[in-house]
Amino acid sequence: MTILDRIPESLFRLFSIVVITVLLLMIIFPLYFMATTAFKFEGEIYSELTWIPRDPTLSNFRDAIFSFDIPTYLRNTLIVAFSTTLIVVTISMLAAYALTRLRFPGRALMARGVLFVYLIPGSLLLIPMYLTIVRLGLKDTYPGLIVANLSFSVPFCTWLMMGYLRSISVEIEEASLIDGCTRLRSLWHIVIPLSVPGLITAAIFIFNGVWNEYIFALIIAQDTAHRMISVGLSNFYRSDYYMMGPMMAGALIAMTPVVVLYILAQRYVVSGLAAGAVKG
Amino acid sequence: MSQQTLSQPVVSPRSAPKKGRSLFAGDVVLGWLLVAPALIVVLGMVGYPFLEAIRISFTDRMIGRGPGRWVGLANYEYILGWPDFSEMVVRTVAFAIIAVILKTVVGLILATALNQSFRGRNFLRGVFMLPWILPTYIIVLVWRWIFDGQTGLLNQILVSWGVLGENYPFLARPGSAVAILIFVLVWKGYPFYALTFLAGMQTISSELYDAAKVDGAGRLGRFLYVTLPGLRQVMGVVILLSTIWTMNSLEIPLLLTGGGPSSATEVFPLLTYHLAMQNFRLGEGAALPIMMLPLIALLVVAVASYMDKEATQ
Repeated sequence: MTILDRIPESLFRLFSIVVITVLLLMIIFPLYFMATTAFKFEGEIYSELTWIPRDPTLSNFRDAIFSFDIPTYLRNTLIVAFSTTLIVVTISMLAAYALTRLRFPGRALMARGVLFVYLIPGSLLLIPMYLTIVRLGLKDTYPGLIVANLSFSVPFCTWLMMGYLRSISVEIEEASLIDGCTRLRSLWHIVIPLSVPGLITAAIFIFNGVWNEYIFALIIAQDTAHRMISVGLSNFYRSDYYMMGPMMAGALIAMTPVVVLYILAQRYVVSGLAAGAVKG
Repeated sequence: MSQQTLSQPVVSPRSAPKKGRSLFAGDVVLGWLLVAPALIVVLGMVGYPFLEAIRISFTDRMIGRGPGRWVGLANYEYILGWPDFSEMVVRTVAFAIIAVILKTVVGLILATALNQSFRGRNFLRGVFMLPWILPTYIIVLVWRWIFDGQTGLLNQILVSWGVLGENYPFLARPGSAVAILIFVLVWKGYPFYALTFLAGMQTISSELYDAAKVDGAGRLGRFLYVTLPGLRQVMGVVILLSTIWTMNSLEIPLLLTGGGPSSATEVFPLLTYHLAMQNFRLGEGAALPIMMLPLIALLVVAVASYMDKEATQ
């Protein structure tokens, strides 16, 4: 027991309020300026600090959309993110089912290995992966981007689904098997319907991951026609002169799908967090 | 997909399993079949590149110059010969450890503050998740602009308030660049810690807290003797995994500082990227992360033994 134990409850509440407020301001500060800058004219952005746009304009959005190919990048990102999510969730669900429910030699080793694949440094795989993609003729193509994104998504999603499958009861499944149902029928008619919440969680994480991915996108798709939104927007900054207005407008456009998805599916995201299987 | 619920029996009772055959008889073939696609992806896109990286590290391969010649350990010797190699390793590890400690502390404080019932708690929890769900590249670009030496927001604010006489090049000074890199790593990472810890805190039985109260434990006592032990497993896993991920992090240093000023923030993933994608020296670029593997393997073994220990308890 220390003197600190005698801190009155009201002081603790005050402390909580201060902590939450300070951290909240630190989160909102950059996002607020990103949002307001998107509506400012260039002159205002660099000349002086204004908390509210003096003369709100949509010209940055117009530039982002019509002068900087943002729609093309968004389309590319959407195609790659959707395809990757579909493939990853399918492949991983099958693997997770086998690794948690079936008994076969090699299972224990693979079940353990899944997590450790996910701990291999990405920078180690960067060079050989780049060379492989080039050799397969997949550089600057959608399949190249999809294949590269599979690498870490499949082990991650398998791990997530294994956790989910372990948490749902096996009794109905076992009953169906005793009744003579085959494994595949039981998987299709019982396990998959029961796993829908887990599958949605996994799909959100994978989609979000691909949408936000930058490194693979940077080394694999360098041409404008297949460029991903992450590379497209970062190129604004990598060039010599600044275009903060269009860039912030582009950033707002690029993060909208992620935020909308998150608001719609917050429940699933939180449940995925509780499963503890998320990169952070 | 068929919408089946528990109330609708989906399996018509058919013949019982054949006598003398276990329920798991067909599992071997089916198991491998179902795992096969995932296994092919992992072997093809992780396993093969991994071995390829080792092979390339023994060659002098460069981009656009064919397969390269076998040079033995030359790349490793070359890297070990750098005067600032050990400095780079220390820097990588130190940044990761400092960032993880800060993320843990801030995460714990926030989780404790959020672990009370008040109005708007769910909304707040949602807002606190923003740094973690938003694209890293956007977060980093915004912070980089805020800290920019010429037109940066922080300079505008500090100068207009009279704190600074003139603009300060935050990202062009080693000390402040390092601080900013760690700040952004923490800013992006602590919400995940907080929300995981919060989820863990909510599984701790309230009876334990009541018992501690009866024993005369105050806020701090309950935190030290109930909350922390209750969170041990969650914290252990999160901290170990996050240390590895923070050490491997390439995107944030690449976009925020690019390793500068004068390699003050050059961590090993970034150096790998620079060797390979800017200098086109693939052999050396492959050798560097391989040299860091023992360190990461050590952490991985720690994760594995920790999880095993916790699982058997």
